[in-house]
Amino acid sequence: MPARPDEDGDQLLRVIDSVWQKTRQHWLDDMAGHFERTYWTPLLAESRTYLRALGECLEVMGTAERDTEF
Amino acid sequence: MADIHADIDALKEFRDALTEFRYAQREVVERGDHEIEVTRASLEAKAGQWRSLLARREADLVACERAAAAEAAAGRAADCSAEATAVQEAQERLDYIRRWQQRVEEEAGTFRGTADRFRNLLDLDLPRTENHLLAIISGLQAARGIPVTGS
Repeated sequence: MPARPDEDGDQLLRVIDSVWQKTRQHWLDDMAGHFERTYWTPLLAESRTYLRALGECLEVMGTAERDTEF
Repeated sequence: MADIHADIDALKEFRDALTEFRYAQREVVERGDHEIEVTRASLEAKAGQWRSLLARREADLVACERAAAAEAAAGRAADCSAEATAVQEAQERLDYIRRWQQRVEEEAGTFRGTADRFRNLLDLDLPRTENHLLAIISGLQAARGIPVTGS
């Protein structure tokens, strides 16, 4: 059975976060901190907000399907 | 000896990963939207089936009541309670599906705002972020005298 899209999205987020953590180990100048605050942290937060909302929405869709199977 | 350009290599890898992330999350968004549409269509189909069934059962009840009236006129008793129960069941199930349709619309409406923001992030903000990273990489390469070999 294929994973739900929100679960796949979470997995993608974990992968990109690990790439970022690795990048951060090598990127040590002032620009790195600025990038993290201005680009990376908002991207992570917005992605998590969306995936959580998608998960909740798909839960309701699934319940609607199951509950109306008479 | 540590690679003195490890930051540049890491940044290139991160930028490529970010591009892949953008495309893959775009698919996630499409699949999410699709699942909502599938649920909507499924509920509408179920509502349609129960509407048809309700109409048939109502017609059966009317026919039964007509026949019962004729039986009563002839002094005989007739019972349409089974037909009435069947009508009531179909009406209740149709109402139940309609309530779920309403709930699904509310949920999809609430979700839409968050989904739109994320879609904008993927379509507008992330390409800018990737370009910004590219500029940083190019800047670092230029500062160190490394020839720029494309994105």
